[in-house]
Amino acid sequence: MTVATREHDPSGAGGEQSLGGDGRDLSANPPHGGPPPAGGGGESEFEFHTGANRPTGVPDAIEFIGVHKSFGSNHVLRGLNMGLPEGQISMIIGPSGTGKSVCIKHIVGLLYPDEGDVIVQGQSIPSLPDAELFEMRKKFGVLFQDGALFGSMNLYDNVAFPLRQHTEKSEEEIAEVVNRRMREVGLGDAGEKMPNELSGGMRKRAGFARSLVLDPEIVLFDEPDSGLDPVRTALLCELIKEVHEENGGTYVVITHDIMSARRVAEHISVLWRGRIVESGPAAELFDSENPFVRQFLSGESQGPLGME
Amino acid sequence: MVRNAAERAFLPTRNLLEEIGDMMILTGRTITSALRPPYPYGGEFVSQFLFALRLCWFPLLISTVAICYAAPGLQAANFLTIFGALDRLGGIFVLAAIREIGPNVTAIVLAGVAGTAITADLGARKIREELDALQVLGVDPVKNLVVPRFLALMLVTGLFNVYAILFGLFGGVLAELVNGQPLGPFWDTLFANASTTDLWGSALKTTIFGAIIAIVCCYKGMTASGGAEGVGRAVNQAVVVTFLAIFSFDYVYTQMLLATHPNILVIK
Ligand SMILES: Nc1ncnc2c1ncn2[C@@H]1O[C@H](COP(=O)(O)OP(=O)(O)O)[C@@H](O)[C@H]1O
Ligand SMILES: [Mg+2]
Repeated sequence: MTVATREHDPSGAGGEQSLGGDGRDLSANPPHGGPPPAGGGGESEFEFHTGANRPTGVPDAIEFIGVHKSFGSNHVLRGLNMGLPEGQISMIIGPSGTGKSVCIKHIVGLLYPDEGDVIVQGQSIPSLPDAELFEMRKKFGVLFQDGALFGSMNLYDNVAFPLRQHTEKSEEEIAEVVNRRMREVGLGDAGEKMPNELSGGMRKRAGFARSLVLDPEIVLFDEPDSGLDPVRTALLCELIKEVHEENGGTYVVITHDIMSARRVAEHISVLWRGRIVESGPAAELFDSENPFVRQFLSGESQGPLGME
Repeated sequence: MVRNAAERAFLPTRNLLEEIGDMMILTGRTITSALRPPYPYGGEFVSQFLFALRLCWFPLLISTVAICYAAPGLQAANFLTIFGALDRLGGIFVLAAIREIGPNVTAIVLAGVAGTAITADLGARKIREELDALQVLGVDPVKNLVVPRFLALMLVTGLFNVYAILFGLFGGVLAELVNGQPLGPFWDTLFANASTTDLWGSALKTTIFGAIIAIVCCYKGMTASGGAEGVGRAVNQAVVVTFLAIFSFDYVYTQMLLATHPNILVIK
């Protein structure tokens, strides 16, 4: 297990310094200009991965330490070091297929790292015994990529499910919470609908309501904005911000939409090829000098990221 | 290079062995989870049981009557006429219908009809990330989804075996009638050869068949990946693996039953 805690030194002494995940790739990587060849092999793959973690002044609620994860020959996470600050809305952004969803599944203990560690509020998720993991999961609200509603239940029952599962609340109390959350996401009168009768956007909003009913300390959103039109995306972003202001907690939002990032992110981590390119407070990252970060955050076609 | 080629050649075998191991683990977890409280799976158990019953009764009826009429019925009758021993057909039906055809046809029909439905259902839920969501919400998929299907399929397959045997014997009766034989000798030789070992042996075997179908089909569904195509692939593999497992188990079981109960080897 590689433990590269230095980057996540909460004192922030490591500010802008260029430290690769394991310090190996940079020394072996002679600096040269120009973008690497598409899908370039070897160490130049990580040319732009300074791994710089700009200090946030807040301790990390979630930490990835040297995480490797492969599916067969598909090496998805390759020494990922990432810290997500407590009490803020963090965004993980990166091209599709880089393993953003895989990250979320590591945080909630649905996947285990091949190597490295994932720490949530000081506890190592991969080494938690089942019973404690179950307890831990009550702290999470997760919105999966397509809402992941239960197809056999209507929306109301879907949203009420976590309450019935984890609390002793009476049906009236449940109805009160569920109706409030459903109104909040704009589904006040869709309770009787079945998930397959809904549009993708409505399913997402219902999934959002379901992830919030237990007042979780950590909320994870997997691409809340994909498949939505720009107006709905903006509304959803507003909603996330409002709910965060009201309830507090650590929010982690995965997206590849820069507009959403500009609207809601307080902290941004740019993920590419299984590692962090750069991370830090949103405002600083939007001013980053890093060619990849600049390309990605401005959505230009010119730059290190090609079609691959 | 050589190592790569070797690895590629052995990869399917290794994957298969790994899968078998995973299924064994799933079986163990299912059994412990079924026994250990709480027991939240009652409703799902009843609905799965009724579902399998509703789906399977008619295909099973047609299959057993037809195959028992054709194979041990017409074919064996044709053979027995040489010796003028058509009354022996009853004895053959103990061997054929009760010990083998009943259980195996039941297993084939249940795997094909109910098992594939289970794989498709769980596979679709896996692809839609419903299973992940369940787990995050603190619901154990093994206890809430696999256990009820496991118990329901064991019970349904065990019960359907009786039903299959009855309709199988009906196929034999048809064959006797078609050959213009009285039914008395058929029943005589049938009951002379049938023992309680045959009955419980058959029932136990099919119950285990049900367990095999449930585990393989749940496993394949819950590990589906790769979108809608992946669900199709999972269903296909579920059927293939179930049949392989059932027939291999049938061989081992038959051999063991004959070895431990030699009295059923004696043809009366
Ligand atoms: N359970 C899994 N089994 C096999 N491969 C997976 C699994 N989950 C994700 N992958 C692979 O990991 C890679 C990253 O996937 P994902 O995290 O979904 O990307 P994204 O960043 O778009 O969310 C993809 O190539 C995907 O095929
Ligand atoms: Mg994703």
